[in-house]
Amino acid sequence: MTADPRFLIVDDFSTMRRIVRNLLKEIGYGNAEEAEDGVVALSMLKASKFDFVVSDINMPNMNGFELLKNVRSDDSLKSIPFLMVTAEAKKEDIVQAAQCGASGYIVKPFTKATLEEKVQKIMTKQA
Amino acid sequence: MRDIDPAPRSDPAESDESIHHRIGHLTRTLHNALRELGYDRELMDARDHLPDARDRLAYIARVTGEAAEKVLNAVDRARTVQQELTEQVDSLRSRWQAVAAYAAGGRSCTPAGKQLIDETCEFFACVGGQADRTNVILTDIMMAQDFHDLTGQVIHRVVALAQLLEEQLLKLVIETSPPEQRPRLDQFKFEGPVVAPEARDDVVADQKGVDDLLASLGF
Repeated sequence: MTADPRFLIVDDFSTMRRIVRNLLKEIGYGNAEEAEDGVVALSMLKASKFDFVVSDINMPNMNGFELLKNVRSDDSLKSIPFLMVTAEAKKEDIVQAAQCGASGYIVKPFTKATLEEKVQKIMTKQA
Repeated sequence: MRDIDPAPRSDPAESDESIHHRIGHLTRTLHNALRELGYDRELMDARDHLPDARDRLAYIARVTGEAAEKVLNAVDRARTVQQELTEQVDSLRSRWQAVAAYAAGGRSCTPAGKQLIDETCEFFACVGGQADRTNVILTDIMMAQDFHDLTGQVIHRVVALAQLLEEQLLKLVIETSPPEQRPRLDQFKFEGPVVAPEARDDVVADQKGVDDLLASLGF
């Protein structure tokens, strides 16, 4: 992991993208870009280097699961940490996320402390 | 349910055909009953109100989203002000600490002056702590705006459900009521905020529309 990791925040709600972006900045990660769905996110991931993905699940065009599967099946992207931040609280969704290779899963509404803890945990594993 | 005989299971295709036939028969019976009882009119009314309900929900989602964005913008501006304040205080604090150190070593400052310097340094330290606490409060305000995402998702689901219901009701209405007998949707006398002004020509979209209209009338 680089000293200033580059994050990609994927959510169809601009409000949530801004919240996550500001929280990441507060916990020391100010290098972030945004995408409004999985299609845009995948295009951005293939176009330039990102070190961490924070993604919603329920989005139009391409949902978070599909994005995760695409990322994990692409040799150049498969090792990127992928944190789910979603309102989907069903156990089967959480299990599916894990099976698809998610690095972490946060249920909305969440706190700054939760995001910080999950991100740091994933960062530590990557180091 | 005496009319329904258990279907023989020996031939699945024949069984499926029998079930489809029975469902068709039940549907026809339901259609006839609805028409005879006059419920086709009520179905039409219910169906006609669904687009309005969807538009109103979409309006709620849009307005609450705009409100959340405004709050986030305000939080960002407040954070910038806080940051500038903190930087200015830090700068002044270090300069006053230098003055305090100089004054403590000689006679260049009166006792009252020394006390003033000490109190000023303490105040600067206090301001730094208050800026930190304000930032925590601003984070809480920012986090509270997640309601837009959460309620927005619920609204989207309800809108999708309403659309499905509308389509089903429309099919039922078409099959039970001749088009020329369809009742017209009664208009509300006062309908509140206009949720889809672009689709209508009998309303204005914004304050400019109000002003232009009044100006055209000579007011």
